[in-house]
Amino acid sequence: MSARDRILGRIRRVATGDDIVWQGGGATPAIAQTSGADRVERFIAQATAAEATVTRLNGLADLPAALADELRNRNLPAAIRHGAEPDFAALDWGGVEASQGIGRIDEPATLSKARCAMAETGTLVLTSGPDNPVTLTFLGETHFVVVDAADIEAGFEGVFANLRASGSSPRTINMVTGPSRSADIGQVLQLGAHGPIALHIFVLGA
Amino acid sequence: MSLHAPTTPQFKQNSRDALADENLQSALRSARNGFVGKRAIARAKMGEDEFDALRDRGRDLKNHVLANLGDYLEAYEREVIASGGHVHWAETAEDAQAIVLDICRKAGAKTVNKGKTMISEECGINDHLSAHGITPVETDLGEYIIQLRDETPSHIIAPAVHVTVPQVREEFLKAHTHLDPDRDLSGLDTLLKEARAVLRAKYFEAQVGITGANMLIAETGQSVIVTNEGNGDLSQSLPKVHIVMASIEKIVPTLEDAATVLRILARSATGQDMSVYTTFSQGPRRAGDPDGPEEYHVVLLDNGRSNMLGTEFQDMLRCIRCGACMNHCPVYQTVGGHAYGWVYPGPMGAVLTPSLIGVEEGGHLPNASTFCGRCEDVCPMRIPLPKMMRHWREREFERNLTPAATRWGLGIWGWFAKRPALYRLATRGGMAGLRLLGRGRGRLGKVPLAGGWTDARDMPAPQGDTFMAQWRAKR
Repeated sequence: MSARDRILGRIRRVATGDDIVWQGGGATPAIAQTSGADRVERFIAQATAAEATVTRLNGLADLPAALADELRNRNLPAAIRHGAEPDFAALDWGGVEASQGIGRIDEPATLSKARCAMAETGTLVLTSGPDNPVTLTFLGETHFVVVDAADIEAGFEGVFANLRASGSSPRTINMVTGPSRSADIGQVLQLGAHGPIALHIFVLGA
Repeated sequence: MSLHAPTTPQFKQNSRDALADENLQSALRSARNGFVGKRAIARAKMGEDEFDALRDRGRDLKNHVLANLGDYLEAYEREVIASGGHVHWAETAEDAQAIVLDICRKAGAKTVNKGKTMISEECGINDHLSAHGITPVETDLGEYIIQLRDETPSHIIAPAVHVTVPQVREEFLKAHTHLDPDRDLSGLDTLLKEARAVLRAKYFEAQVGITGANMLIAETGQSVIVTNEGNGDLSQSLPKVHIVMASIEKIVPTLEDAATVLRILARSATGQDMSVYTTFSQGPRRAGDPDGPEEYHVVLLDNGRSNMLGTEFQDMLRCIRCGACMNHCPVYQTVGGHAYGWVYPGPMGAVLTPSLIGVEEGGHLPNASTFCGRCEDVCPMRIPLPKMMRHWREREFERNLTPAATRWGLGIWGWFAKRPALYRLATRGGMAGLRLLGRGRGRLGKVPLAGGWTDARDMPAPQGDTFMAQWRAKR
């Protein structure tokens, strides 16, 4: 008999099932039920509370200039690393040197497109793949993320419905709420542990 | 586990040492109030009723999972395999060691990066890998610090909570010998930057990354990790092989159930609405993916848990490892995590440790409680921790493991308790005696046989009538 059979055997000897037809989720709190403009506002407020910074743009066409501004204001080199995201392919980055590929060991600034976002907690939802390689989310010192306002869901339920509806099954789904942090030295919270030191979000559209 | 064998049987001596350790007491003082206040604020921001409704939902969810654990584990396993991953079943810590070593060897691993995993601590994975020529590198900052100090975690979510800033500085100066020994490490930020740079290089060197799992989702075969640093994600995304170490009770049925847990987990743990990184991983990298691991393995650990099912300790398997119970525990706050002597400290450790390593070894821990009940009050999964500690005390007593003096005392108490008239007479007499000793000051500086208690504080002298007399008068 295998370890698997022995473990399952021990479990089944006592855990013989209940009669509940399980409905997942439940008890959705009010903070996860915003809509319309309130929803976008909550997303921005929550992301800001988690130490992210946010800029609203009318559309993709405004992204290159806004990104160039942000890089300059943060004293970062005029360079950006991103994936094969179709939304970025057609953009003219102007004076910013854009390169495509996965994250490297020393990566001052990276750019990703979020699949969707969550107003409840100010969380971005990114899915791995060639368009948005997962390493860009963790190796950039400053991580820039673009999200469509229309893709901001109220809470987890909307995010999961969105992911299910897309039919894709990425290797990783990354929920990101603010830049990385640690309080492991002296219980004092500091930003920029192993992931990005700063997270900037561009919200597109109303 | 030779290097870090349990010192749980020496809990009393460990506690004495902890109380006398000035560095530890200073670290504990600075941690004490942070966690408690932050959790209370996070709960209030959501709305206390809604937060508590989620706790009820979490309790029901895990009870349902445990009642159907076999089916859910099989469903989960099917999904992992369907997405190209491998599932390994480990009955014991030794089995898990062997499985992990085998995977690492097949991957030709020389170094292995570790995200924070308590299951790996439980199984002694680091020592086992080291003994076989593979270098484990802890990448969580707190775990990294204690690995340098050759210690085990003293808290399940803040492993280096017992280490002071000067001690961190000292370790970095000792360990990072490739850097200028006269460099400025005075600021907290310089310490963080240095650790970040040292570990960043290590992420790219490892052939295998090991993480834990906060949850396993039966519906999708995903494992979920929740972190603030991003180290778990770098550990699992850069090497060729990703190993997830998880215990069998981590299962939730659906993504929406994961949401239930996530809504209470970070709020209970650090008081954040959401931790920075919550990552759902399924199988290896997809065809066409430019990054991510090429192999995905899940080690499902039992190590005594299946034997807790159907016993008075089953509810402990609802635990989501948030650490709220230890953050709110007056005993933990005073002696810290190492005194508990094994992997899991605080109230959850006091219940879990005897279940996993036996009441002979871990029997002291359930006695380290005043039964104040704060742990149960704040537990997001509503685990009746004090009740279960009481059950362990009963088992300890039944097996004759309780010290003679305690047994003798309990025997005397029991004799009186079975004779209500005598009991009332004795309590009345005791009260009068204590009042006399108080000599009208309302408190006692010394009480016979209770020196341990009165050494640190006065005992209030009894006032009014006995409880029984008051009860009768009010009815």
